[in-house]
Amino acid sequence: MRVAVRTTFDKAFTALAALSVGLLCLVLVMILGPMTWRGIGAVVFRGTVAFRKMQLAEFGHGSESEIQAEVAEAEAVRKRIYEIIDAFKRGIDTEELTDKARRIHRDFGEELRYKQIPRQQYTELRSMTRDIRDHLEAAFASQDKSQIAQNIEYVLQYEQDERFKGTAAEGFFELAIEFQQTIAKIDLPKRHEYEQDLTEVQYILFGSSQRPGLLGPRPDEPLPALAMNRYGATRWDVAQSLLDQLLWAVQWVEKEPGKPKVKIRTSRLERFAGTKLEPLFGYIEQNLDKILRPRWTFYWRYFVDDSTPGHYFGGIGPEILGTIILTLLSMLFVIPLGIISAAYLVECASDSLAIRIIRTCINTLAGVPSIVFGLFGLGFFVLYFLPVFGAPSKPCILAGSMTLAVLTLPVMIRASEEAIRSVPPTYKEASLALGASRFRSFVTVTLPAALPGILTGIILSLSRVAGETAPILFTAAVAVGPIAKSIFYTTRTLSYGSWDMAVGDRLSALVPHNQYGMVVALVALVLCLNGLAIFLRSRVFKKLKGH
Amino acid sequence: MAFVIEREKKIPTQKANVKMPTSAMQALQNGITRKTAPRRIDVQPRKETVTKTGLSSCECPLIKAENFSLYYGSTVGVKDITMDIYPCSVTAIIGPSGCGKSTFLCSINRMNDLIPHVRASGKLLVSGQDVYDKQVNLVNLRQQGGMVFQKPNPFPKSIFDNVAYGPRLQGVRKQSKLEQIVEESLRAAVLWNEVENDLKKSALALSGGQQQRLCIARALATKPRVLLMDEPCSALDPLATGKIEDFIEQLKSSYTIVIVTHNMQQAARVSDRAALFCLGELIEYDSTSKMFSNPSKKQTEDYIPGRFG
Repeated sequence: MRVAVRTTFDKAFTALAALSVGLLCLVLVMILGPMTWRGIGAVVFRGTVAFRKMQLAEFGHGSESEIQAEVAEAEAVRKRIYEIIDAFKRGIDTEELTDKARRIHRDFGEELRYKQIPRQQYTELRSMTRDIRDHLEAAFASQDKSQIAQNIEYVLQYEQDERFKGTAAEGFFELAIEFQQTIAKIDLPKRHEYEQDLTEVQYILFGSSQRPGLLGPRPDEPLPALAMNRYGATRWDVAQSLLDQLLWAVQWVEKEPGKPKVKIRTSRLERFAGTKLEPLFGYIEQNLDKILRPRWTFYWRYFVDDSTPGHYFGGIGPEILGTIILTLLSMLFVIPLGIISAAYLVECASDSLAIRIIRTCINTLAGVPSIVFGLFGLGFFVLYFLPVFGAPSKPCILAGSMTLAVLTLPVMIRASEEAIRSVPPTYKEASLALGASRFRSFVTVTLPAALPGILTGIILSLSRVAGETAPILFTAAVAVGPIAKSIFYTTRTLSYGSWDMAVGDRLSALVPHNQYGMVVALVALVLCLNGLAIFLRSRVFKKLKGH
Repeated sequence: MAFVIEREKKIPTQKANVKMPTSAMQALQNGITRKTAPRRIDVQPRKETVTKTGLSSCECPLIKAENFSLYYGSTVGVKDITMDIYPCSVTAIIGPSGCGKSTFLCSINRMNDLIPHVRASGKLLVSGQDVYDKQVNLVNLRQQGGMVFQKPNPFPKSIFDNVAYGPRLQGVRKQSKLEQIVEESLRAAVLWNEVENDLKKSALALSGGQQQRLCIARALATKPRVLLMDEPCSALDPLATGKIEDFIEQLKSSYTIVIVTHNMQQAARVSDRAALFCLGELIEYDSTSKMFSNPSKKQTEDYIPGRFG
């Protein structure tokens, strides 16, 4: 081949290599950059008053008096919102009226039961109130003025009935009169439309079972059962998106038949123009600062705090702890086992068929998918090994760490074997010539000299173990649960938590910052562990080299 | 006392067994004389007394080989060696590469055990005990014979730990005792003045010559009776070689030294007796001055001036 051609080839290959390295870096930056940025958002963000309230109530952080004063100030600004909504609700929110009517019917029944009146009379009264209730409901649901008037009239004919005097049934008539008055003032055909919109606005403001609202539950309502529904928007970015949803209604409209529907944003301000609700939007938009009182927050406790179910609030403390414990415990198993196995393979094993088969097996095991090890861990450690030693046959940290140890053992053995093999044989010779036994030579001379290489193996194993999900899926990890009291309990881990949040939970979609935070914490933890091992290795290396 | 072990004229008969391709080897075996006159090296025997009286202090041989042979599987390592090595003297073993010098040296310490399929026959006695006896205590044996290798091979540990390795094996635990041994050994190896202040430094940071002297100090620390040196200067520059030769001279008074070397001048300079090995056999064994000035064998006469090998 001519020199010019050869040079050209050489340059082309160099360029190709440089290009691929560059691409790799670009991909890394493109993936890691945004991920880290969003992960940092879990720790540094603008926290609202709801965040501080939540921190106090759920985790006991912060000063109670300060936060109460802040909540009171915020509530003072919010009061106007409640007033606007209540004023608008009258006559629009028929659901609430229907609820009231039903409650009255129920209360009246209870009253009758206490009075112990004859059975026939009881039945008669009950059927009467049922009739009244049904007519009221019909009136509430109807959009026809004459129909409403008819139904109300029917109800009011019982007003003078002696039997209802002084009982809960009087509530029916108050309800009917009130409704009669409001209905005279509002535009009936629009009422249904408003009703739907109002429900949506209320969901956005006060939360629903689907997601928490901007302000959280109204102070006059009972506290919701789920922790996530007890607080309004805790973060300013979430508040911003909720505000957007409040101001703009999104509709999917079919513009042309047969074509996909088109998303249209319409201003709620326009939709409610001329109604009592109109001032609400301007008020919230202008006073959002005062309503939520955002403040830059460095939530370092994210790395220590426990979380509410579904990781809606709180931190990833138990996950970090679980990951560290699992990793270190598995290292405790894998380091001695790996080194001893490698020492046997290098120093003692002859080149027999059995040894060659074992070597092949080790190489093969290094490439087996981790889920296979997970199933092995379930079948062997959880179902067989633990009961043999009297421990309950259920997933636990011990079983998980042993599974992880088995997973990474081949890597460890291979790395240690290479390290021990690469120690100059002259070291061993010198030691033997001084009269040391083979074991002593290995422990005092060969092993220390092989330490940097073995540490490389440990680094590789460590990174793999810390990030694995599949082996602990059935053997150690849970998504929700208390912090483990001992190694015979299950634990939460970062890897499993990330996986669970990514696939499992509807709620986790509402807190992407927590998802990213967990993944970034995992990456950072592995980096830290690696950094520690690399530092250790360089120290050992320096000591060996004598610089 | 016979320094020269009379060899039977076996060499031609063994030619069938030992295959050596080089013509020089065959020339040696067949005893073909070169046409050019042998170039003699002027050797000034350093100690006239040695050549006169045989050997000064110790008359009784410390190491005694009687028809000693060693095989690696079917390959011959050394064959039928019969020679006595006397205490408090320097014995040089010379010969071409692959002739069994190192094999013989390693046999004294049984370092050959590491190689698979080693088989020994005949007798090799060190202070009266057969080295290849099954009941021999390897640890004791190896501590009796300190070994210095061709390439400096200090452990990747501190200088102190390197020298203290042997004594620690012997069970010396006391720090003061260890310090004393280390200092003595380093002084004996003429290294003390250079490393006195950084005993904690890694041995690998030393220069090649210093490393080799450290290895000798390490071997001396176990207080061996024999010092086995396998081409100790082949990886060193002339200056470092000179230093090592100097203190071999010093050590001679208290140790028995067996040194394998390729360097004729070195053998002439340091040794009291010299043995020429060829193809696993001992060709000639005599006092150095005689070997270098008036050898009794043709092969020796050819080898020493460097006409072959």
